Amino acid sequence: MASKSEYVIETEGLKKSFGDQVAVDGVDLRVPRGSAFGYLGPNGAGKTTLIRVLLGLTQPSAGTMRVLDRPMPKERSRALARVGAIVEEPGFHRHLSGRENLSVAAAAREPEAHTRIDKVLEQVGLADRADDRVSTYSQGMRQRLGIARCLLSDPELLILDEPTNGLDPGGIQEFRALVRSWIAEGRTLILSSHLLDEVEKICDYVAIVDRGKIVAQGTLSELSTGDDGAITIGCDEPHKALAAVDGNGSLREVEETAGGLRVLVKPDASLEKVAAELNTRLVGAGIAVHRLEPSRVSLEHRFLEITRRLGGDS
Amino acid sequence: MSTLESSVQVSHPRRPIFRLERAELLKLRKSRGVWIPTALLTIGAIAIMYTAVELFHVYNSSKYGPAGGTVNLGHALLLMGQVAGMIAAALVGAAAGTQDLSSGVFRDLVSTGRSRARLFLARIPGGLALLLPMMAIAYALAAVLCVVLAGGLPTPSVTLFIKAGLYVLFSGAVVYVIALGLGALIGSRAATISVLIAYLLPVQAILRNISVLGRARDGLLSPAVERLSPLSPPDPHDVLSMSLATSLIVLAFWVAIFCGLGLWRTQKRDA
Repeated sequence: MASKSEYVIETEGLKKSFGDQVAVDGVDLRVPRGSAFGYLGPNGAGKTTLIRVLLGLTQPSAGTMRVLDRPMPKERSRALARVGAIVEEPGFHRHLSGRENLSVAAAAREPEAHTRIDKVLEQVGLADRADDRVSTYSQGMRQRLGIARCLLSDPELLILDEPTNGLDPGGIQEFRALVRSWIAEGRTLILSSHLLDEVEKICDYVAIVDRGKIVAQGTLSELSTGDDGAITIGCDEPHKALAAVDGNGSLREVEETAGGLRVLVKPDASLEKVAAELNTRLVGAGIAVHRLEPSRVSLEHRFLEITRRLGGDS
Repeated sequence: MSTLESSVQVSHPRRPIFRLERAELLKLRKSRGVWIPTALLTIGAIAIMYTAVELFHVYNSSKYGPAGGTVNLGHALLLMGQVAGMIAAALVGAAAGTQDLSSGVFRDLVSTGRSRARLFLARIPGGLALLLPMMAIAYALAAVLCVVLAGGLPTPSVTLFIKAGLYVLFSGAVVYVIALGLGALIGSRAATISVLIAYLLPVQAILRNISVLGRARDGLLSPAVERLSPLSPPDPHDVLSMSLATSLIVLAFWVAIFCGLGLWRTQKRDA
């Protein structure tokens, strides 16, 4: 048997158009095996469309893709046999119970899927309500049932589109714990979301997508840190301070704020050293510094910067 | 949710057969909006017909004959094969063809990697497993009442009973598959039922009476079904004369066209 690839999903130039509108635009995606991979983008960025293409729910307009080492859509059945997915809000037959809905889903899987029904219901905390009709379930319970359905296939790869929708804070925490257990078992998770906080807390790899294109991809720390750090300076006379720091070769950008300055530091410079140097300059110029706070750029800042939403440039 | 050390474990697997077909049956038989009208249109319709005719007979036996006998079994066949039974088959077929789409489950079934053709084809035996037993019960009721309430009227032979039973089941199965295909094609249960009932009742009745259409009327569904009935219809002039072979070819054409369209749409539809 051929050895497993380092990546569970590999796409090249994947494209999906609806008429003139390009929803997925030449996406080259590599999802490392055993990772929690965040697919992050604003609403309408093409996240769900990419997932739909990967799952064979709609045909790509161009490009190639491999899922779990198998070319899609050529070996779709075998590739998806070990994939569990929630795409948008999970759908159910509302007149059937939760258990019956899982039974319907298991019928489309391998025979062993039926034997996992009780176990997965227990995992998602629905064992007590399993025989109630889904029409009596809350949105959060339906979301849990959707996660249970994903687990029926004993998946190597889970693809979850906005999985925490409708979950209460307790449910979200339990979901995170469940995700951590999946990763510990060697499964791979793709989490598609517009919720930065969620991705930051769960994922170790992130791709940021905007207008159908992947605009950044890497580990969470690479993207969060990005290529720059920032220093927030609280001082008197911001205008004078601006002139004082001008000409420092380590700075990429300087911005005057109400209570001082905010500077972006070049990636090759040490944040701490630059902060000390700026402090010396400002004090030397007779400016009282009451705050000097080096900080790494957050994923949120990075996301907004990359997707050009920062400053209303959208 | 609770995190377990081993999230999914496989115990001794049973290997149930016809799993997709049984899942289709489960969806339909648990839907009150499907099985109640189906039962009413099959078993209920026969019960009402025989009860009404028998009440008329009891009320005025000189004017109204007994409810049983071969003649009234012919009426029951007409009811089951071409009116209420057809509508029941259309209801079940439309539900089977659209329920995964309307509930949003189709997308999840497709994402399992299971062949779309297999998902579609499983609906044929799955839905028939609900419809045909109901039609069989209705026919059995008709057969019993045909004998019990016969009075002095002649009753059918065993062979005729068997042929009539097969006719009822066959006509129901044909309309079911057509409705299933149309449902999968259109994607809307209400629209499918509306189109089929409109065609089966007023539109077809109008078309079969337009003489200028000539032999083209052989292609209509009901005359082809009617041709297979082992009992003469109440009005023999109403039947377009066609051979048995033509009838079977017409029915095969209807089934193949709608089944094919439904299958094609299921395979091509964005899920």
